[in-house]
Amino acid sequence: MTAIHQFVPSLAPRDAVGTHYLAVQRILRDAGYRSDIYALEAKEEFRKRARPFRSFRGGRAGEPTWLLYHSSVGSPVGDYVAARPEPLLVDYHNITPASYFARYEPHLAGLMSLGRRQLLKLGRRAQLGLADSAFNAAELEQLGYPRTAVVPILLDVATLDVPVDRPRLDQLRRAKEGGGADFLFVGRIAPNKAQHDLVKMLAAYRKVHDPAARLHLVGGSSSEGYLAALRKFIAALGLTDCVDLAGAVSAGELAAYWEIADAFVVASDHEGFCVPLLEAMHHEVPIVAYGAAAVPETLGGAGLVLATKDAPTFAEAVARVLADEALRAQLLAAGADRLRELDVAHSRVKLLDAVVPLVGAP
Amino acid sequence: MEDAPIDLEQVRRSIDAEVRARRAAGVYPPGFERELDALFAQFAPAEVTEDFDAALERAEETVAVDPVIPVASRNPGLLVLKKVVSKLIGWYHVWLVQQVTALGATLAHALRLLGGRVTALERMTGDQARVRAAGARVVPARDDAAWRDLVIGAIGDVSGRVVIAECGDGDLLAEVTDKGVDAYGVEPRSGLADVAAGRGLEVRLDEPAGHLEALDAGAVAGVVLRACTERSTPGESLALAELAVHATAPRGRIVVCSLTPDAWGTGATAVEADLAPGRPLRAATWRSVLEELGCVDVEHHEVAGGDAYVVVATRA
Repeated sequence: MTAIHQFVPSLAPRDAVGTHYLAVQRILRDAGYRSDIYALEAKEEFRKRARPFRSFRGGRAGEPTWLLYHSSVGSPVGDYVAARPEPLLVDYHNITPASYFARYEPHLAGLMSLGRRQLLKLGRRAQLGLADSAFNAAELEQLGYPRTAVVPILLDVATLDVPVDRPRLDQLRRAKEGGGADFLFVGRIAPNKAQHDLVKMLAAYRKVHDPAARLHLVGGSSSEGYLAALRKFIAALGLTDCVDLAGAVSAGELAAYWEIADAFVVASDHEGFCVPLLEAMHHEVPIVAYGAAAVPETLGGAGLVLATKDAPTFAEAVARVLADEALRAQLLAAGADRLRELDVAHSRVKLLDAVVPLVGAP
Repeated sequence: MEDAPIDLEQVRRSIDAEVRARRAAGVYPPGFERELDALFAQFAPAEVTEDFDAALERAEETVAVDPVIPVASRNPGLLVLKKVVSKLIGWYHVWLVQQVTALGATLAHALRLLGGRVTALERMTGDQARVRAAGARVVPARDDAAWRDLVIGAIGDVSGRVVIAECGDGDLLAEVTDKGVDAYGVEPRSGLADVAAGRGLEVRLDEPAGHLEALDAGAVAGVVLRACTERSTPGESLALAELAVHATAPRGRIVVCSLTPDAWGTGATAVEADLAPGRPLRAATWRSVLEELGCVDVEHHEVAGGDAYVVVATRA
């Protein structure tokens, strides 16, 4: 039997990349490979799914063993894998350029710079670079990776259908009954996700289109400095009552947000894939997004992509999507098509097509 | 029969037109977005600005590393363990903290000394950034009538978007769009950009070079360089030429409208010329540069009685 073991910085629940690691493990095992996960840290219910990365001492005698390193941030795991003798595959989930964090969280910026240095170092001996998107693959090619293949994030959208949290849904519905559209963004509060530009959009939207509109920003914080600036900005604009900084929420609460959302809005300057776009498609919420980095590629026509995100244009675009039923229907239909293109079955084939010819049969 | 799919590009254009109309109607006052940007900037950390002193102060604030080992934990067992480890390695931690803090303080002090020397050097040699900032505040006086017909002749038949950089208060841009050209302007001075936007024109508040650099290769069908080339250094002019060629699609047009070196600095352009880091290139130089960059059918025309010229080139 051949082994392909995954090495990851962190394995956490309710994390798209974490779900991807587990899906990759399932696919590799189903294909007949032996596959374990080694991590720097594994959180909560995932503790039994991963082993400490330093406990890996090499494959079993006589068993061809490959390492698959997942790169998303700087980590001691990257250095450990780089020093191992086993043949290497790298799956790149994108590392946010350090410049976005340098001014808010210098220590995180350092980790991101480390991640890019590790990615470069790993490229010298990686035999294949997997990437969630062509955007990420292009970065690998620039770093000198000899072979790359695009394998989208393995997201089983059926897992998104969870029982809705009734109290949260009732609370959101009560607000909706008072009038006003609900805009949603799901993602960590981070400078590269530019939530402050969504607040600007809301200010313009309320001024011209709907003075009762609300914005829900769901997700934990990756930058306390940016979050603090965002809070003060919202307060200074007098929007505290209509911008909901929801923080990290349970799956059921998130389902409630999807249920009441009129539009999913994205102003990110940098995304390597952006899984919540797929969630929006699944929940049939129309998408209006600034077309930066991998966002247009992930959308694949299933959203209204903007070349600029100045507040008036963004607000006008959102208003158009809400008002134009035919446009909305077209975007939702395109979303359903895009989800089929990106479903796990297709991505499974892409993963195995990329890996098996290189690694050999199990 | 199924309805034809909605053209999303058409939707985007319609949205842009609606926004321009709202700006022209005063729904969005001039500077609306800039005020939002400035407000957010107030709350961002000091490093978000380009203020060297503020950034250095922030660095000095973070020089002191916390010598107290964090031991808090929700898990009582872990809390005890952390306390024990803290006791065991406390002396080593303090030793490390002292060294790291000393290194940080030394580096911050060295940076402060370096900052002082750079400031003194700038004063002695002339602060180029300050001169540029002063020059950028001068409103360029250009008579677009001199080159209007040649510009329209050059870009009137292209298929696709045309960018006019700089567009000033929009006179040339308005004339070009009136002739049916799908054009937008780039203007770095907010006051002029607001005037142009208030006329219902599509204007981006940006530096010409920065805007062209951000465009994908072949993204536009034409680039008209106006005013910005005259005060550029030769190096900046070469960069503008390269960026314009890069941004223009094959068979697209590149047009340079400029005063001649002799006319530059006389009359209405005196103040602008005094504060400019560069001067206009000659028409023959633009021809040479554009031909070297692979453009074809390069021609130039004298206008305004020989005080200005228009160079027209086609991207191969």
